[in-house]
Amino acid sequence: MIIKCTMAEYRTHMKIIGDILATTRDDLQDEDGASVTYLIRKANISHSRISTILKTLVSQGLLEKVDNHGSNKYKISEPGREFLQAYYTFTNFADDFGLSI
Amino acid sequence: MEFLLENILNLVGFLVGLAIGIMSYIGFRNTGSPTLFRLTIAFSSISLGFFVIWTGYMVEDFVTKTGSVERWIQTLGIAIQTVGYFFIALSHSIKSFFPKSSYFRSVGIIPLFLVSSVQLEHIFRSVSFILLAYGAIETMLSYFDNKNKGAISVSIGLGLLALGEFVGWYSFVFPESILYSASMIIKIGGLIALFIPVSKVPLTRIKFDDDLE
Repeated sequence: MIIKCTMAEYRTHMKIIGDILATTRDDLQDEDGASVTYLIRKANISHSRISTILKTLVSQGLLEKVDNHGSNKYKISEPGREFLQAYYTFTNFADDFGLSI
Repeated sequence: MEFLLENILNLVGFLVGLAIGIMSYIGFRNTGSPTLFRLTIAFSSISLGFFVIWTGYMVEDFVTKTGSVERWIQTLGIAIQTVGYFFIALSHSIKSFFPKSSYFRSVGIIPLFLVSSVQLEHIFRSVSFILLAYGAIETMLSYFDNKNKGAISVSIGLGLLALGEFVGWYSFVFPESILYSASMIIKIGGLIALFIPVSKVPLTRIKFDDDLE
């Protein structure tokens, strides 16, 4: 589930990645994956920034890029699911220390 | 064993610091988060600091048997712990810890060479107290934001460590009083409180993943 942020709330780079991965895991448009436009809307992030992040996530094997009739869609991979699980675990861990990862 | 309370405190401090340090390191390896990296340095330093002092007491107990631990070992251990407390405070965004003027930066370190190791220990204890109090307050404030119950435990833990430092420092004024033992017990309580939320992290779901680096 993505929590919409207000203008005053600062999101760390890690949290943005967590939001993108959570969208591709829990909130897909269809079976083929999520389009860039959909991710921009759900993760509330600019096109230029999300392009860089998506490239990194695909290169690290956390997301899979699917060519769907000429347009790219993104699905979470198994390592991506494990990363997201670790992200949630350590988000709670850092929360205990009053910190954000 | 002459220094029972000291040995318990320093052993518990070493183990708790090590456990939290390892947990933070696993988190850093899995997520690459700089916050978890700072926590790793913080708790590794705290653990190492307690270990140095514990080693000092063990050497005194079983080897030298002079009746008091070497002062420089105590000072070194407390200095290493202070580095750890600094990184906890840094994680809470201390923006300007050092003076901005290059002149003050250059002379700021000189007093450290002009004071004896006893005074150095007091300086490190004072700095530790400030950093711990800051960390405890910031953690408690974060609880008011996100209502995470683990933050209360960590905040109480850091607060008790700060109180323990303060009482321990005050025991120098009244050396024969109960204050010294009280400071040890308070600190042990603080370390246990720090460990409570960490003990609830589901270890079975955590693993190293080299591919993510």
